[in-house]
Amino acid sequence: MDIRSQVSMVFHLDKCIGCHTCSIACKNIWTDRKGAEYMWWNNVETKPGTGYPTKWEDQEIYKGGWEKDANGIDLKGAGKKKGLRNIFHNPHMPEIGDYYEPFTYRYLDLIESPAGDDQPTARPISMITGKPMDIRMGPNWDDDWSGTPDYARKDPNMKDLSEAEQEAMFQLERMCFFYLPRICNHCLNPACVASCPSGALYKRGEDGVVLINQSVCRAWRMCVTACPYKKSYYNWHTGKSEKCILCYPRIEAGYAPACMHSCVGRIRYLGVLLYDADKIHQVASSDDASLVNNHMDIIQDPFDEKVIASAKANGIADSTIHAAQYSPTYKFIKTWGLALPLHPEFRTLPMLFYVPPMLPVMASVKDVDNTAQSEKMHDIAKYWPDNWLYDTSTEELWGTIEQARMPMKYLASLFSNGDEAMVIDRLKKLMAVRIHRRRVTVGDITDAKADKTLADVGLTAELADDIYYLTSLAKFDDRFVVPAAHREQAIEMLEFTGDVKGNTGFGFKDGSAERGS
Amino acid sequence: MRRNTATLLTLPVGAVALAIAIGGLLLPRAAAAQDGEKLFKTTCAACHSIGGGRLVGPDLQGVTERRTKEWLHQFIPASQKMVKDGDPTAVELFAEYNNIPMPDQPLTAVQVDAILGYVQASGAPPAADGGGGEAAPEPTPAPVEPPATPEQIQLGQDLFTGETRLAHGGPSCISCHDVTNDAIIGGGILARELTTVFGRLGGNGVRAILGSPPFPVMQAAYEDRSLEEAEVVALVSFLEQVSSEQSNHLPRDTGLKLAASGAVGTVLLLLLYSLIWGNRKRGSVNQAIYDRQVDSI
Repeated sequence: MDIRSQVSMVFHLDKCIGCHTCSIACKNIWTDRKGAEYMWWNNVETKPGTGYPTKWEDQEIYKGGWEKDANGIDLKGAGKKKGLRNIFHNPHMPEIGDYYEPFTYRYLDLIESPAGDDQPTARPISMITGKPMDIRMGPNWDDDWSGTPDYARKDPNMKDLSEAEQEAMFQLERMCFFYLPRICNHCLNPACVASCPSGALYKRGEDGVVLINQSVCRAWRMCVTACPYKKSYYNWHTGKSEKCILCYPRIEAGYAPACMHSCVGRIRYLGVLLYDADKIHQVASSDDASLVNNHMDIIQDPFDEKVIASAKANGIADSTIHAAQYSPTYKFIKTWGLALPLHPEFRTLPMLFYVPPMLPVMASVKDVDNTAQSEKMHDIAKYWPDNWLYDTSTEELWGTIEQARMPMKYLASLFSNGDEAMVIDRLKKLMAVRIHRRRVTVGDITDAKADKTLADVGLTAELADDIYYLTSLAKFDDRFVVPAAHREQAIEMLEFTGDVKGNTGFGFKDGSAERGS
Repeated sequence: MRRNTATLLTLPVGAVALAIAIGGLLLPRAAAAQDGEKLFKTTCAACHSIGGGRLVGPDLQGVTERRTKEWLHQFIPASQKMVKDGDPTAVELFAEYNNIPMPDQPLTAVQVDAILGYVQASGAPPAADGGGGEAAPEPTPAPVEPPATPEQIQLGQDLFTGETRLAHGGPSCISCHDVTNDAIIGGGILARELTTVFGRLGGNGVRAILGSPPFPVMQAAYEDRSLEEAEVVALVSFLEQVSSEQSNHLPRDTGLKLAASGAVGTVLLLLLYSLIWGNRKRGSVNQAIYDRQVDSI
């Protein structure tokens, strides 16, 4: 047992409203620089959709992530042999056209244009060339199913769905989508780190944040290809690759990362997990059927004596263990079993988990007689002379999940390596919490029925209330349990502080004045 | 009348001018030509002896009897032209002496005469020798030399490459010459390639050429900067080494073969590249979308 700590995230997709506030917060802080304009360390995608960069999930195009082989796992597109072969020309790398050409507008023309017959316009300007351009693509061009024939219908996750199932998703009264916010997963088995020929990428010891050392990066861009989530980006101006840093300067100061802090829907949770590093290789190489469960099992119980002892032996601070015990992510992932990793089949063991979306609402359209209802309406009310009802009630307890518009197969392709039962299990739990809360707040559901739903999914009323609290009422400190950084210890690992004793001013070892001189 | 007087007047003036001009041209040469011996030693002795047997070229003893004066006057300034023109004697001699061309000598007729006069005068009665040919008594007059020491070879190499300057400041061999040997990288291409020169000319020939270069350019280059005896020995040792090691080194081929193998190699490399990188991502995933879009700029 080799216990280490990892700052992990949970995104509750039922709460995401797709407002892109997280993306803007991130962009304003980190990627508002030359060469980084096209980067979105945080982006929000509409699913079904092709995402950003286009079709990032299709590893036949980009060759990212790991694949299982006879000896365990191997990088799909990088590593020693493949990396050397492609070191001077990385053939599967996304190009700017796969992202989009970043642009701004010449706003000053609106103000400074001389008087004339026509209104001045602000022409779009490329942020790469600085010249006027045609806008061809944006980072969320497929938002809310715009351009569906080009984007939603070409979602790589639909390849397992039959043609009829695919077609059903796009029918009027049946169509649905949800939002998928994405940041770097800060994986336990990061392909980007494994792929780097320069050794510039590393996983920070104290909290598992994956970073690119900007002074070691030699622009091979293997990480750009190797990351199956396409969350490593190449800055064409500095000649270095960059990625989400999980706002580590904020984390060290005790703040939540900017994307999480600014989240309008409060969908994001951050907390420490303790995991067993000895198991990483074994878990990442496990067969398809047990991959997701093994992935969950690598996370250890922070209350277990043995786990705590091993954590302490590894130098994990008491405050970090304490944070792990109060971690909201541990509750979502392990205690309640509500969250699932995104595309676990890439075998990078992502540490960002998603609570799968139960919405959009499952409903059916029924023929009913609406005349009695219509008579009650005021004269000036808009009156629709139709006789149908958009009915969200169901006779069957779990009927709404079975009638879900979003095919379970589609969700399973995203979150559970194709295992529909795993997704249904999460959705049933979410449903049971709703039924329980309806009993509490509305009271039109019998105790027997509510308790049965809870018992069916292995929850109790107390647990359901906990889930309800953390989902709907949680305060800032409940959602983000940021461990103390202990940077003072980190510095001591690098240098002996006794060396700087007696030095003057800010000068440390080099060039500091000697006493008496 | 007027014209006649003018002609009469100009004639002596012209004659005098012509005489002065010719005299100015010839006088120094004439003076030099008188010294046929000196001329022979500087221009001919590197390759020819008089009665000493064959060196690089034939023994010249009795050459004035063997060949006509006209033939010699034609051959000495432009031997290769005669070979090309198919003069039977010239062709035969050329073949007999390993196809080593005799350098064209920029000598005036007077100078050639002076040399021939010297050859005739200093030559003892000819031995039983046909055309200075195969039956020439193998002279090997040079005493048996001790084999070159590694130091000498190394010095020769350094002198060749210019690592060590020549004592009298002459240009290093590598400025104009090249040899096929790993020790030399990128020799000059202005003059002959010297890999086999030792085998072709023998130690005496090379030594003689280095001692008093018969080639006009080399002559000019080493005028007043002649090589020292030790330097000559070292260079000859080095060239002997190069000649004997020749089979161990790949010949440098800069001709059609190189171009052809380059072309074939390029094609093979491109084939290999397309095999290795053929299955690559071509263009943007969004290309179909971009292609449909209408450009406004």
